[in-house]
Amino acid sequence: MDVDFSPIIENWRFFAGGLGVTVLLSVVSAVTSILSGLVIALLRLYGPRWLSRVLVFYVDTMRAIPILVVLVWIYFAFPLLAGVTFPPFWAALVGLTLHIAAYASEIIRAGIESIRPGQTRAGLALGMSRAQILRKIILPQATIRMLPAFGSVLTMAIKDTAIATVIAVPELMHRAETVAGQSYRPVEVFTTVMVLYFLVLFPVTRIVDRMYQKLAHLGRS
Amino acid sequence: MTSATPQGTAPAARARKGADQPPVLVYENVRKLYGDFVALNGVSLQVNKGEVMCLIGPSGSGKSTLLRCTNALETLNGGRVLLDGIPLPTRETEVRKVRQRMGMVFQSFELFPHKTALDNVAMGPVTVLGMSEADARKRAMVLLEKVGLESKAGNFPANLSGGQQQRVAIARALAMEPEVMLFDEPTSALDPETVGEVLNVMKKLAQEGMTMIVVTHEMSFAQRVANWVVVFENGAILEEGPPAQIFEHPTVARTRDFLGHLGWNG
Amino acid sequence: MNFDWNVIWTHRGALWDGALMTVGLTVLTMLLAVPGGILLALMRLSSNKLLSSASLAFVEFFRNLPLILVIYWAFYVMPIAFDVQFSALTTALVALVLNVSAYNAETFRAGINSIRKGQMEAALAMGMSRRQAMFKVVIPQAARRILPVLASTWISLFKDTSLVSVIAVSELAYTSMQIRAQTFRVLEMLTAMAAIYWLMGYPQAKLVDWIHKKYGVKE
Repeated sequence: MDVDFSPIIENWRFFAGGLGVTVLLSVVSAVTSILSGLVIALLRLYGPRWLSRVLVFYVDTMRAIPILVVLVWIYFAFPLLAGVTFPPFWAALVGLTLHIAAYASEIIRAGIESIRPGQTRAGLALGMSRAQILRKIILPQATIRMLPAFGSVLTMAIKDTAIATVIAVPELMHRAETVAGQSYRPVEVFTTVMVLYFLVLFPVTRIVDRMYQKLAHLGRS
Repeated sequence: MTSATPQGTAPAARARKGADQPPVLVYENVRKLYGDFVALNGVSLQVNKGEVMCLIGPSGSGKSTLLRCTNALETLNGGRVLLDGIPLPTRETEVRKVRQRMGMVFQSFELFPHKTALDNVAMGPVTVLGMSEADARKRAMVLLEKVGLESKAGNFPANLSGGQQQRVAIARALAMEPEVMLFDEPTSALDPETVGEVLNVMKKLAQEGMTMIVVTHEMSFAQRVANWVVVFENGAILEEGPPAQIFEHPTVARTRDFLGHLGWNG
Repeated sequence: MNFDWNVIWTHRGALWDGALMTVGLTVLTMLLAVPGGILLALMRLSSNKLLSSASLAFVEFFRNLPLILVIYWAFYVMPIAFDVQFSALTTALVALVLNVSAYNAETFRAGINSIRKGQMEAALAMGMSRRQAMFKVVIPQAARRILPVLASTWISLFKDTSLVSVIAVSELAYTSMQIRAQTFRVLEMLTAMAAIYWLMGYPQAKLVDWIHKKYGVKE
């Protein structure tokens, strides 16, 4: 078995560009997912009943449908319905956010609910408004507990960006396929890309594990 | 380094319960380290047959550690423990046999939540002694009657009060027909109302002649039921002797301090 | 813009087969990945340094890679490594089983470790062997905690089977997209694909919720 890593070395800029897109897409979609998740969670907890039901349906739907299906539908099918086309990157961003925000909203909802009701009552007794209580008492405490879970939102985003290859987003996975196809050296290419993904993901999962350990003592406040 | 252990006045030592027979347990210079922390600093002690020995002292003084070294839940860093004159083995299979001869009751009861009270008590005989389920259950029922809980035989631990759980735990330990019973702060995790019911069971056991080593903070129990009291401090024995000596005229000043701190005025 | 929703009905046979393949892959993978995960967890918990490190490395490897990449990599490497031509289905199964075993290993390990040390001590103090203590005391309790997590892993697996479409395994996603390519009915087929996944996935999601509620940790 002869091994030839030259296609990778020659195309290192191409791969670097792909890695850059991966990182960009992951970070941006993680952020948009968490922010959207926050909005969804708050609407579910404090909004009108009917909206709550709609949002529950949305969250459960995202649990049922694979992200591949969501991405493909947004990129290929949505334009036919709405007459608008998305460039691949943006289609991926929308699709990833749609899918991951559902997961993020559940994390945030659980985080907020884990704060003892006594904390809210204490705030009310001091004369604070509900919004103030949320901002100053509940969210700060909840956020600390949710940090490790947010970390796993990031790892999820990074892994899911690789799926965006099917809608031709020029991220690392897509670049790998291109070079592998052109050079007929799939083993070397995919092995290298594996190492690259591992190097990106390993620190993040390590930090998440560390955070979970540090916060293990918190449980219910 | 051996600990200084004033063994009490000579007549008291001679009159010590079980002194006419060889001791059940002997600790020779037992050392135990946790990293840099010296939990036991060369402790030497003997436990006589039929004796109720109470280990008292501040938290972290080594009393629980010594108990756990007795049935090899902790390994020693120095010295040895002898049961009936034979040192504790190191091989897992032989250690198990030794553990069968000792019963242990834990501060947190540690009943198995997925089994009823009856099955908790029967578990040892079935799993370890190879008894049939039917025979084990019969034995378990007798023991539950002994601790006053035959009506709760079908209850799961979640439906028992702390005191009830601890009594079941005592029955569970007795089911193995041990020679020695080890109690690790058996009432520390109990509500004050239920402490009494557990201490009563322990008193009954003592009256029946069971050899018992009890790590406890219940000073009145130690004073009334124990035959021998050992005071620990910083991994060593401060003083030991009959309850009358320890509680009424301790020979070591620091013993007086410790008891004074507990608000013990005799 | 005209839409021909009939195309879904016309191809219902192929779609049905695709859905069956999706379910089949999920079931078969889990059947293999549960023992796989148990084996890895036991290796990790053993006192043998070699076994424990090997298990740790395996789990870390799969936790830190996108599954789609593992699928591609398996597709190209397996024929070379074993000098045999594997079907895409076999490759897909291998990639899925290895991936899910790694996650299951963590689930089993965390479940077992979550049982208080005192339970093991109480069992040992009675004279039980470590193995007896594990099987009679620790594992029965751990199982209660493990089941809800396993249920969540199942649902993730169900969705992840769609990824093997990239190596042309005829599960639901691949089949739907093939029909799309043949008939040019993009909106109809992609919507049908989403709808069928939803029909299969939604009840599973609700079942997982029920399991979480029933077996939620009560200390």
